[in-house]
Amino acid sequence: MFHNLQELRQSPSLATKVFIQRDYSEGTVCRFQIKFPSELGSRIERTLFEDTVKTLNTYYAEAEKVGGQSYMEGCLACATAYFIFLCMETRYEKVLKKISGYIQEQNEKIYAPRGLLLTDPVERGMRVIEVSVFEDRGSSGSSPSSNVSSGISQR
Amino acid sequence: MPGSSKSGGVGGLPSSPHTASPSRPLRPSRYVPVSAATAFLVGSTTLFFCFTCPWLSEQFSVAVPIYNGVIFLFVLANFCMATFMDPGIFPRADEDEDKEDDFRAPLYKTVEIRGIQVRMKWCSTCRFYRPPRCSHCSVCDNCVEDFDHHCPWVNNCIGRRNYRYFFLFLLSLTVHIMGVFGFGLLYVLYHTQQLDRVHSAVTMAVMCVAGLFFIPVAGLTGFHMVLVARGRTTNEQVTGKFRGGVNPFTNGCWKNVSHVLCSSQAPRYLGRKRKPHSVVVQPPFLRPQLTDTQLAAKVLDNGIHGDLHRSKSSLEMMESQSCDAEPPPPKPELRYPALSRGHQGQHTEESSLLNKAPPTPTMYKYRPTYSSPGKNHTALTHAYANQSSQQPGFRSEPSLDGREAPGERGGGGLGGGGDRPGGGGAPGSGGGGIPGYSLGGRSYPSFSDPTVLSSGGGGGASHSSSVRSGSAHNATHVSEATTSTSYKSLANQTPPPRNGSLSYDSLLTPSESPDFESAAPDMSPGHHRTPAPPPILGYSSPYLSAQLSQQRDAELHQPSASSVALLSSPHRAHYLQESHPHSHHSQPPPSSAAPNPPLLPAPLLSDSAAPHHYPYRTRSTDTPLAPSTHPPRSPHPPPLGKSLSYSSAAAAEMQYRMVRKASASAGGGGAGGGIHAPKDEIQMKLFSRTNGQPRSSISSSGSTPSSPSHPISMSTRPGQAYPSPGNTQSPAHKPGGGVKKVTGVGGTTYEISV
Repeated sequence: MFHNLQELRQSPSLATKVFIQRDYSEGTVCRFQIKFPSELGSRIERTLFEDTVKTLNTYYAEAEKVGGQSYMEGCLACATAYFIFLCMETRYEKVLKKISGYIQEQNEKIYAPRGLLLTDPVERGMRVIEVSVFEDRGSSGSSPSSNVSSGISQR
Repeated sequence: MPGSSKSGGVGGLPSSPHTASPSRPLRPSRYVPVSAATAFLVGSTTLFFCFTCPWLSEQFSVAVPIYNGVIFLFVLANFCMATFMDPGIFPRADEDEDKEDDFRAPLYKTVEIRGIQVRMKWCSTCRFYRPPRCSHCSVCDNCVEDFDHHCPWVNNCIGRRNYRYFFLFLLSLTVHIMGVFGFGLLYVLYHTQQLDRVHSAVTMAVMCVAGLFFIPVAGLTGFHMVLVARGRTTNEQVTGKFRGGVNPFTNGCWKNVSHVLCSSQAPRYLGRKRKPHSVVVQPPFLRPQLTDTQLAAKVLDNGIHGDLHRSKSSLEMMESQSCDAEPPPPKPELRYPALSRGHQGQHTEESSLLNKAPPTPTMYKYRPTYSSPGKNHTALTHAYANQSSQQPGFRSEPSLDGREAPGERGGGGLGGGGDRPGGGGAPGSGGGGIPGYSLGGRSYPSFSDPTVLSSGGGGGASHSSSVRSGSAHNATHVSEATTSTSYKSLANQTPPPRNGSLSYDSLLTPSESPDFESAAPDMSPGHHRTPAPPPILGYSSPYLSAQLSQQRDAELHQPSASSVALLSSPHRAHYLQESHPHSHHSQPPPSSAAPNPPLLPAPLLSDSAAPHHYPYRTRSTDTPLAPSTHPPRSPHPPPLGKSLSYSSAAAAEMQYRMVRKASASAGGGGAGGGIHAPKDEIQMKLFSRTNGQPRSSISSSGSTPSSPSHPISMSTRPGQAYPSPGNTQSPAHKPGGGVKKVTGVGGTTYEISV
């Protein structure tokens, strides 16, 4: 995509990654810690970030809810000797798609303008939310834990 | 291969040998049990259908074979799902997720689940801390979520995704066996006169097989029914995890059963279609508006954020270590949680450090920082190098401040030092040679800079050895403990730090001019080249300053102690004034970390000139106490260690005070007894984390000072796995019991149930 070094130098480079861990205080249900990591303190407002994580937690709670829909799904699967899984999307998968769309939207609207990128936790086995922090040319060295790469995004 | 993403069910490869472990050798023996099971199941049932069912359907009803057929289909479907479905394999963690943990992270991390402490073990294969109930299957070489067991009969792990199918397979197989046996018996009973016929013989054979398999299968079914009702996995039951205890994962019998049978099919983690990031990240980036409190915090805690975060991680590491009753694992397995990973729900106290005073005494704030060893290590080495490179003129002070222009430092030994306070003004950075001062851009108050700390730490270790010759220097001990702890895996710390430590040592013990002087010549040639960040400056407390000023006169006459003069009050005032402007951007005033107002001036001392005095400061303070006890050197050493990264000056001072108090109360032998608190912490961590050379280094350096100096009641860590000679202890420890207390970041004490 980049055809010359100039263009390459203009793209921001990854400075560090912040990992939001799972919150296991309520068991193995999928929940992420809402605690605001300090590395992001200078990059994004706390409320925005916490809202994102809280919404994600709500989605996951909805996906894992044991209720009528999931019960019917199970019975149907049993009755069809699980062939139904070839045609139908399970509830969890549907919610995961919603989550993926939500993360995409959040990235576009909130995180990318701030030089951050969220990674869908399912790609990490739902163990962490990976927040990629990109180097902002005006703030190199401000984050104590960032291993700012030497590449500078020049504009 | 991998099933379509649409189907959450029919997964794909059998136990994912291809995706998770690409280079697994083909082992035919693994397929023997599953082949035998399949052969028996399919073969026997086919024979049953061929020989027994025709007569039964004619004799009784056609429903008989239909019923058996349905049951058999159910068995087969569940058998196939249990065999071929991904049990919930975690993909290997990316490199960048654990890049900082590689050789420093503790083996265990503890989380609290519904009030019960659960340990998460580091998986060296998969490179992450295993979530609760996750286990690594050695047969499949994967970490499996909600690992139940590896079933050889299906040649697959049973985990979160396929446990339901396994359970239903067992149930249906039991029913099927009972049906086959029952109908076969019926047939035989009606054909007692024709038992020599083929049909009867086959039926009897099938009955034998069925009867033979019924007992283990039914037993297993009953076992799993109990497990499901209790909400346990086979792994937990067999290993006795909750024997006599409380299972934090149970929700009651009904909810457990409904979770197993009725919950939605869990998603697959491997082989998912990865959506490419279509979002473009382009600068310029928006920045959040800092609120007033945030600004204040920023000003005060410049750099402490990172340190606190680190401290948090280290705190968690400490906790996990304290929980770990096993002996420390070999070095390669030791892991430090990544800084960013350190967050645990229960460690919310850490964040409070940023905005308010820690609830517990600041002495507990000292925690080795387990920040990225790579970075810090190099920084430390560099720091020490700078230190040693400092001009020899300041013998009294270790040339910790790499930043300062050599000319400034060399401004004439001590005399120059006196005037330097203002001038030197190493703009924040580093205060001159004061160990523990952050180098470079990071102006952390004394201990905050990990690089400084690490360098200080390294130096500290060697310091103590040299210092030990004289009076016990608690500060030295602390620093050395810190250092050694921080660098358990950094082997090449010794040479440079030694120089630095020597200089540091001399700084620490101004009263021991003879020792210092003897050490100084060693230092001067080499040390002042390394700009060692002077973390100690941050710790300079008014208390210490006062003490030092007492010693001022004595020190002034000593060439090595020239730097002490800097600490003298008149100088200090001057120094403070001049350094004040620097302190704000170079080092956040310790007030952020500690609410103690008097400590505010302390960081100012961290300026170039101050560093020189710092080591003396500790000495001088010690001197008056010497007769009574070995007064703890000062918080000085701790800052040196990386662990002290987030200790603010206030914290250092508080610690010093507490140490002094402790040593005073202990009445003697307190050589660094008080200081042991941080050191013990460090040692504790060190021992829990490493069983390699760092430990030995600690023991060598730390044992001497520490052993005589445990007058204070520092409860030994319950973790007997750590044979620390120095009696690694944290002040907050409560020995024995089922509870371990671990001091965490910001001095908070955590209780971890063993």
